[in-house]
Amino acid sequence: MKTNKIGSKKKRLPNPKRVFLYFLLILFVFLTLLPLWSAVMTALKTQEALIYSNPIQPPIKPSLDAFGTAFNELRRPILNSLMFTILATLLSCVLGSMTGYALTKVKFRGANTIFLFIIIGIFIPYQAVLIPLVQIIIELGLWGEISGLILTHTAYGIPICTLLFKSFYDSIPDSLINAAKIDGAGIGNTYLHVVLPLSVTPFVVTAVFQFTQIWNDLLFGLVLTGAGVSQPASVALLNLQGGFVTAWNVQMAGTLWYTIPSLIVYLVLGKYLIKGFMTGAIKG
Amino acid sequence: MVSIKKIITRDKISTILFLIIPIVLVIIFIYICIIWNVVVSLSDWDGLRPSYDFKGFGQYQKLFTNEIFLTSLWNNIVLILIFVPGSLVMGLLLAILLDQKVRKENVFKLIYLLPFTLSFVVTGFLWRWMYNVRVGVLNTLLESIGLGFFRNDWIQNVDWAMFWVCVVLIWQYSGYMMLIFLAGIRSIPESQVMAAAVDGASGFQMYYRIIIPQLKAPIFTGFVLLLVFALKAFDLIFILTGGGPGYTTEILPLTMYKEVFRKKHFSYGSAIATILFLLIMIVVIPYLYKTYRREK
Amino acid sequence: MTNVIIKNLMKKYGKTVALMDVSLEIKEGEFFILLGPSGCGKTTTLMCIAGLIKPNKGEVRLGGTVLSSSESGEFTRPQNRDAAMVFQDYAIYPHMTVYNNIAFPLQIRGMNKSKVESKVRDVSQRLGISNLLDRKPKQLSGGQRQRVALARAMVRDPKIFLMDEPLSNLDAKLRVYARAELKKLHEDMGTTIVYVTHDQMEAMSLGDRIAILNDGVLEQVGTPEEIYENPKNLFVAGFIGNPPINLIEGTLIERNGKIIVEFGFSSYELSNGIEIMKKTKTPEIMLGIRPENITITKESRENAIQAEVEVIEPLGRENIFHLRVNDKPLIAVSITNRDLNVGEKVWISFDTNRIHIFDKISQKKIN
Repeated sequence: MKTNKIGSKKKRLPNPKRVFLYFLLILFVFLTLLPLWSAVMTALKTQEALIYSNPIQPPIKPSLDAFGTAFNELRRPILNSLMFTILATLLSCVLGSMTGYALTKVKFRGANTIFLFIIIGIFIPYQAVLIPLVQIIIELGLWGEISGLILTHTAYGIPICTLLFKSFYDSIPDSLINAAKIDGAGIGNTYLHVVLPLSVTPFVVTAVFQFTQIWNDLLFGLVLTGAGVSQPASVALLNLQGGFVTAWNVQMAGTLWYTIPSLIVYLVLGKYLIKGFMTGAIKG
Repeated sequence: MVSIKKIITRDKISTILFLIIPIVLVIIFIYICIIWNVVVSLSDWDGLRPSYDFKGFGQYQKLFTNEIFLTSLWNNIVLILIFVPGSLVMGLLLAILLDQKVRKENVFKLIYLLPFTLSFVVTGFLWRWMYNVRVGVLNTLLESIGLGFFRNDWIQNVDWAMFWVCVVLIWQYSGYMMLIFLAGIRSIPESQVMAAAVDGASGFQMYYRIIIPQLKAPIFTGFVLLLVFALKAFDLIFILTGGGPGYTTEILPLTMYKEVFRKKHFSYGSAIATILFLLIMIVVIPYLYKTYRREK
Repeated sequence: MTNVIIKNLMKKYGKTVALMDVSLEIKEGEFFILLGPSGCGKTTTLMCIAGLIKPNKGEVRLGGTVLSSSESGEFTRPQNRDAAMVFQDYAIYPHMTVYNNIAFPLQIRGMNKSKVESKVRDVSQRLGISNLLDRKPKQLSGGQRQRVALARAMVRDPKIFLMDEPLSNLDAKLRVYARAELKKLHEDMGTTIVYVTHDQMEAMSLGDRIAILNDGVLEQVGTPEEIYENPKNLFVAGFIGNPPINLIEGTLIERNGKIIVEFGFSSYELSNGIEIMKKTKTPEIMLGIRPENITITKESRENAIQAEVEVIEPLGRENIFHLRVNDKPLIAVSITNRDLNVGEKVWISFDTNRIHIFDKISQKKIN
């Protein structure tokens, strides 16, 4: 039998394995955050400082000029993005909740088939519907309008929202629903008075998820609004770099402005996002 | 007393009301659009005026003899071959590291997951700056620590551009894979780990013989999700390389976009989109079947 | 010369103390039981022997070799302790066949294939699971899984077996058979077994000696008979025995030169009262008498107490009588009394040799 001496009680040598573990963990933190750190550093520099310093070094004289310039360009688009993202998120959540409920707690034949029918939508590449989508939006007169984006994002958000709510509603015991039934509640009332009050967590999880998805979208924004007045921030960011030489400090500042709302959502509600991803993971 | 018949009818109406909007939206925006897209691909719409004359599989024939398309397809495959295993391995590695009873585990989790929450637009610009040859982060960093000879042209390099693109994707997705694997690892009862310890398994053997073999489900899920991401990864490449240098990082979604929105070759582009759709369905349908089969 | 010596084991989690100064000596070849209610520290002790938990203080030795010592800082990992363990949920690896499960501890140590095979087949045969070697755990019943867990432990020929409630997940009927099999196995093999359970019946039937733990404290160690007949304190007395011992509060007083236990509603004369008085600081005591040591008679007797029959549980082999003595419930068990009726007033007397007197404050036995 092998025995190992760790050392006397008073002085504990750090276990080399643990040291290596933390070294690796911190190395990965560094690798993960390096791009963001550099972006922040770059955004705080003036044009001249950019030329003379290395992107990782903090600026000697931090300047918010880049942020200001970027903000002027991005102010309207960010507002646009906020508007349609929040509205589309709300709509997606409500629809997802109602659909998830109807397909989980109302037992009817074909419920599972409809569910699968909807779920496939999570996996479709948007390219496969892009041309018809643009045609529909143009027909409805919504091209270049925020409402067009709201409609689009809501429609394409239904599959994943339904999945997230269904996973959650599956864990509500049927006996609760049956009790409401016996008390005389119909489907609508059961939803309003029994299921909805219990839905705070899935609402938050789904809202955070959808917000992130919609906020981060580029494709629909590009294709349904062009460079018009209703363009989302993602598209505007593309057009920020003008001319021949990219003003990297402004570009980075713009990128950071764009990231801030979703970053805030992440930092405040991140654990809900993690929860959402993990349920999705286990269920598929 | 309301009759049973009335209750059943009332329930039917309620259910329909609940489901009508989502189902209609899904039918229109997904199913009808997909079918319509296929119809377009079978016609000869080229230019600004829509034209729906049925022309058979002509567009598809064009595709498979077109060098750009074939390069694009090939690039997509290369992307999958590098990106999917890369993310799985990184995710597994991070999950194993975090399984070691690390202090402030949640902080690490939050940081590693951060890239996944970023828009591809953001990632694209961040890494454009990272990879910039003259003044970008990586090259200047290497110079400043004396490893200047490692300076690279990164995504400007004709041979390695795709690889560096994949690095960005792996950076973006590892955190998510880590979560999936961590959930899987944690779902293994602790008594098995204890039993393995008493049986004589060292740390490495524990993971290799006991834990990882039981991660088949998360690995499978992760594999499918990554595969789907790989086939949809338009935004990032659009911003990071635009398909360049040349067509070395061009992938199918990008080609489709260019054909339709720049060159106005609508039918041709929709054919590309259809191929993309079919490729994804080949992976997704069996996966959904396997996962949800029991529920039927 | 395998024995286990545990000295002054202390383990705490934050502010909660799981084990407080526990010391034990387990003889070679013994079937040693760690018994107690949930949370008493029995599993913690077992884990300390296995090396899965590191005690804050104290020493664990196996066969003279130090496995862990807080003084010298030595600690042998569970991988290297030559102790095999069977877990409550069996912990068999679901992704491996039964064969590979059993072979695992040997394969891990690099034993060659043919040797592994012969050992595995040997053990499987002994436990009657040879026909299951190709199956996966999910295809097995609870009883079969339990035997696979046992086989995996046995195949190593370890110095000591550690078992954590291995029978508690079996259904009642199976448990009786499994108990007997386990006992026979021990007789055949002769290896020391340290066995954790909360079931006192299991403990009494299987154990050579039993250690009773409560809230991290070792209450008593002894053979089943010793513990049953001579419980050291109120806890042990109350924990062992089914139906449980009757405990009545009383005061020791002197009357007419004799020592009497005054219950308030009646009194009882103690034969060796004088010795007992000497041992107590206060006259407040608890008198304990087991149900089978109460004699029920229809007529009054000397030193008997009157009681009323409240409920009768006819169990076939014996009857359980729930009696009430002046608002206080008592339980008596009798094989002989067959003709009592509910509501009947009877007289009960205690077997004088089987009375247990406990100091009310210290809870310790004093006779």
